[in-house]
Amino acid sequence: MNLYTKMVVVLTSVGLLSGLLLSTVGYLTKDKIALNQQREIEDAIIKVVPGSKESEKVYEENGLIIYEGKNKKGEITGFAVYASGTGFQDIITLMYGTNTTMTKLNALTILDQKETPGLGAKITDEKSFLRFWKNRNVRNSLSLRKPPVDSPEELSPSEVNTITGATISSEKVLEIVNASLRRVNALKKEGKIGREG
Amino acid sequence: MESRSLGQEYTKGLWEENPIFRQLLGMCPTLAVTNAVINGIAMGIATSFVLIFSSLVVSSIKKLVPKQVRIASYIVIIATFVTLADQFLKAYFPPISKSLGPFVPLIVVNCIILGRQEAFSSKNTVGRSLLDALGMSTGFILALLLLSSIREILGTGAFLGHQIMGAWFKPLIIMILPPGAFITLGVLLGIALFIEAKTKRRRP
Repeated sequence: MNLYTKMVVVLTSVGLLSGLLLSTVGYLTKDKIALNQQREIEDAIIKVVPGSKESEKVYEENGLIIYEGKNKKGEITGFAVYASGTGFQDIITLMYGTNTTMTKLNALTILDQKETPGLGAKITDEKSFLRFWKNRNVRNSLSLRKPPVDSPEELSPSEVNTITGATISSEKVLEIVNASLRRVNALKKEGKIGREG
Repeated sequence: MESRSLGQEYTKGLWEENPIFRQLLGMCPTLAVTNAVINGIAMGIATSFVLIFSSLVVSSIKKLVPKQVRIASYIVIIATFVTLADQFLKAYFPPISKSLGPFVPLIVVNCIILGRQEAFSSKNTVGRSLLDALGMSTGFILALLLLSSIREILGTGAFLGHQIMGAWFKPLIIMILPPGAFITLGVLLGIALFIEAKTKRRRP
């Protein structure tokens, strides 16, 4: 075999073998990966809409998905809103739950973020950030409390706390929530989701 | 190279030719993912998997690959194992896969791996290549472990997520940020060179 034929044969067979191996493994792990992502979202819904046993996607558009949480009897327990937007470093993806009339925000959880470790990344921390997001009144937009306070009781029902040293990350999370709330309320007015309450 | 015993083929990766402290290879993952011990360990294991299997394959097909296309073949082989590792982490360890982010796919361009294929596996037997890859992997994991332990303890007061420092300890946030990586690596390299200089003087 001359050199050129050998080069072509070697590279082709290396490529073919590699492709074969990768497609096999890709096929074997595909379902598992999709299942993990789905489970992550389901867990988040149950966390932010208390009393939910199952959920159903009721609306979806670019960067915004709304799920309906249901209890064992099939009654609606509230809505979970999946939203994303730009953070300080990269896209922040979050989910929050509301009551059935969408006037109260039950809780917030952060699904994905790449904020500064130790500072902005505290948006995923229960103690320094998320506990200040429990039971907020969302009839109107939420606002940020600056300078931050130490306990949730010191905030008014439509305020959330700032993280010391990570004002921008706190603001970005608030912006994502407020923007999606405006959109959710518009959809509600159009009658696309929810019911009168 | 033939003068080394099989044992030395393994142990050289631990100190004498340690990929991080002596060869200064693979700096990108070293600096980027060592902000927590668990990330350091996961990165170390993923890189070791790729290195060991690439070395096995490269050393067993070394006679078949013409030298003009060797780099291209090595990269395809390495990329295959990296993608396998990435898929595996995504499927079975999603939290680790998430925290390592883009650094798993970037193992493809980790110089330790291509460097060992070019410098070692393409010239040595399968057995020696395996020992070499195992040694380099152990050296890499130990170095990542050391770096990430220092950074996690000083930066958060915790080890593997468990708080080990008392309430008096004020975490140095800079240690888990990129500057902390450079500072720690710099100090450790200084210590490594100091030890090297000391031991060399004793046996000239």
